[in-house]
Amino acid sequence: MTGRVIVITSGKGGVGKTTTSANIGTALAKNGYKVVLIDTDLGLRNLDLLLGLENRIVYTIVDVIEERCKLKQALVKDKKNPNLQLLAAAQTRDKTAVNAEQLKEICDILKEENDFVLVDCPAGIEQGFQNAVAGASEAIVVTTPEMSAIRDADRIIGLLATKEEITSVKLLLNRVRPNLIKSNEMMSVDDVVGILEIPLVGIIPEDTGIITSTNKGEPIVNDEDALAGKAYRNVAERILGEEVPFLDLDEPKGFMAQIKKAISVISKLKVKV
Amino acid sequence: MSLFSDLYNTISKFFRTQEPQGDASKSVATNRLKLVLMQDRTNLTPRILEQMRSELIDLLSRYVELDKELLDLNFEQEGDQVALMLSIPVIRAKDEEEIDAAIKQHEEMLKAALKKEEAAENQEEDSDDENTSDPEIIDAAENEESGEQPETAENNDIKADEDLEDEKAEAEKNDAIAKELNAVPKIIKKKEKKEISAPEEITNSGNNPFKSDSSDVESII
Repeated sequence: MTGRVIVITSGKGGVGKTTTSANIGTALAKNGYKVVLIDTDLGLRNLDLLLGLENRIVYTIVDVIEERCKLKQALVKDKKNPNLQLLAAAQTRDKTAVNAEQLKEICDILKEENDFVLVDCPAGIEQGFQNAVAGASEAIVVTTPEMSAIRDADRIIGLLATKEEITSVKLLLNRVRPNLIKSNEMMSVDDVVGILEIPLVGIIPEDTGIITSTNKGEPIVNDEDALAGKAYRNVAERILGEEVPFLDLDEPKGFMAQIKKAISVISKLKVKV
Repeated sequence: MSLFSDLYNTISKFFRTQEPQGDASKSVATNRLKLVLMQDRTNLTPRILEQMRSELIDLLSRYVELDKELLDLNFEQEGDQVALMLSIPVIRAKDEEEIDAAIKQHEEMLKAALKKEEAAENQEEDSDDENTSDPEIIDAAENEESGEQPETAENNDIKADEDLEDEKAEAEKNDAIAKELNAVPKIIKKKEKKEISAPEEITNSGNNPFKSDSSDVESII
């Protein structure tokens, strides 16, 4: 079998690349696919933390490249789902410890035995980025509806366009806040897509649950109730080729919701009186 | 009283469901972002834009008198297309004689620049004889040139390396001319000040540029 190699990148740091990698990887594995997550952020690894696997890492990607262990030995199985494996980054080395060819070779080997290889890219456009995209044939660009993140995403999209091997570039808009969009204080999904002009693969609402899920080391896709978890599960299904409508992120508009709102307002009034 | 106003607010909120505010920070962000992305995508740095601006001023001011300070150069995106928007406040149109004179002056400047370039190329061959036609301009040009010596030296080196490729050499010559042209506007300014210093002063002081200008033209003539 030949799996798909997807790089998750953004340009700017802190927009949610690693969270996205962990969640999409977990969601795909939950759907029964074999997934390997590669953390290429050498020196600043975090994917292990988000998956709660930090204590299980013995070998890293640099150990594999420098032939201190076999590739299989370095793959760490997820606690819950054996379909999901992690190849961790080295924390004590920097991005120059690996080159693009080596990473491409690892991706090529891994895609033979897995359905998906997800590469978590470091921030920036230097060596780390070049390494991460080397083995990929698809890319997901993560951005938030903020100017700096969009500008960097635009730069990344331009760079990805120069890579012949990458045939699909899609946009994941993270940390969307519907109430800010409504009051015209945040760029809307349409605004961002209009500027970046690439197809959308997901819209993830800002969700405080992300913080607690990170604290616990458990991706939010495992939380059936969380909105962000639902949004990430939808992304995974879109990657699998299903047409899933984007979530309606507006506040509840139903009759009961309005009544609830009114009651809460009235109760506040009473307190005032 | 406050109870009623509170009640009114909550009721109107209940029915309105948040109308968007017109000119919120979102549109500011979108516009700023579009502009900065235009610069990022086209590789037009502020320096290059400034150069473009000054060259346009030089070209256009041969035909009309411009308010150089208020000239506005911008990029705007309309759908897939990028438009270059140039807004030029015209102080007055020049008459034919002035335009002809300006064009002639420019042509002479070009010739001088070309000769200067040739002279620089053939430094070893001592072909400076023809260049004495307009000493004033050449002096000025040389002054300008002295600031750019490293660049011209580089050009010469490149040329020496690529003698065989005529096309490339020609392109570089054009580049060199363009560089000379950059120097030209300053020369024009100097000349203008010498020849028609009086009108400039009057236009600055007078509120009616049309009248004062025409009278100046007469006085010069």
